[in-house]
Amino acid sequence: MSNVNMLLVKESSGLPKIAIGVLLAILLFGMFIVGYDQGQLFSLVEGQKAFDDMWMHEFYHDLRHAAGFPCH
Amino acid sequence: MKTLAFILITLISGAIAGTILGLINQLLVEPYIDQAIEIEVQNTVASGEPVDLDELVQYRLWQKGGEIVAGTILGTSISALFGIVYVYSRDSLPGSNNKKKGLILAGIMFFVIFLIPALKYPANPPAVGDPETIEYRESLYIGMLVISGFTALGVAIIYRSLGQSRKESRKIIVPATYAVIIALAFAVLPNNSDEVAISADLLMNFRIVTTITMGIFWGALGILLGSFWDVVKPHETRAPKLRTV
Repeated sequence: MSNVNMLLVKESSGLPKIAIGVLLAILLFGMFIVGYDQGQLFSLVEGQKAFDDMWMHEFYHDLRHAAGFPCH
Repeated sequence: MKTLAFILITLISGAIAGTILGLINQLLVEPYIDQAIEIEVQNTVASGEPVDLDELVQYRLWQKGGEIVAGTILGTSISALFGIVYVYSRDSLPGSNNKKKGLILAGIMFFVIFLIPALKYPANPPAVGDPETIEYRESLYIGMLVISGFTALGVAIIYRSLGQSRKESRKIIVPATYAVIIALAFAVLPNNSDEVAISADLLMNFRIVTTITMGIFWGALGILLGSFWDVVKPHETRAPKLRTV
């Protein structure tokens, strides 16, 4: 009786759907808060005040311009 | 596929490339943004509104710090898309290693989701853009971005379906199809009609420099993910040891 240990390396090119879902969620959330938020996210907590302050718009302001997003 | 390793190297590549973007912008883009802010301040003063210059200096420092944070977040989010596309296109991309493949895909995606939308709706510095029209302009920009992105996805599927037997014809059909659809979108979508009340030099220099720094970002993203990929090899999985008796 003999034992032969073989280490196989196989290649797979697919991604689990859950991984695609997580990455797409990161894409949409990141793009929204950096490029488009006008107070919507903080309004969930602060209400109307968030639309007046536009904290994220102001904090990410310079990159919005530099990355080509519409601003002002 | 080593999924967790893949997600980690994808997001880390984007975070690093995005931070590099935020830092480079401090040197190359900020001088133009400061010039544009100065024009905004002059306009405000001319309209009779008071401006607290000390407060403005502190505020601008805060915004410049925010640019680096925003770079990290934007880089991470863009790399999430880049990683997905890389997984499904890696076998079709030219290049002897993953750094070269990553750089080539980064070039394609820079063209499709930055340069094409920017040619229709170019970046503007502060002092350009009516706050009342921001949602309209955002819709147009997203529209152009989505059209370019999904058209590229569609022609990539056509490219694969044509196969090796039609290698020569697909080299013509694929770019021609993309070009026709983008030309139609350029013709149909309205232009940005906001007034531009700054000098043409400032406007053009800002657009050139921001295109360069976004190109650096995409290049860094491609090289970083390719480098990590060559080390981690997330596409390789080890099968269980086989015992033959």
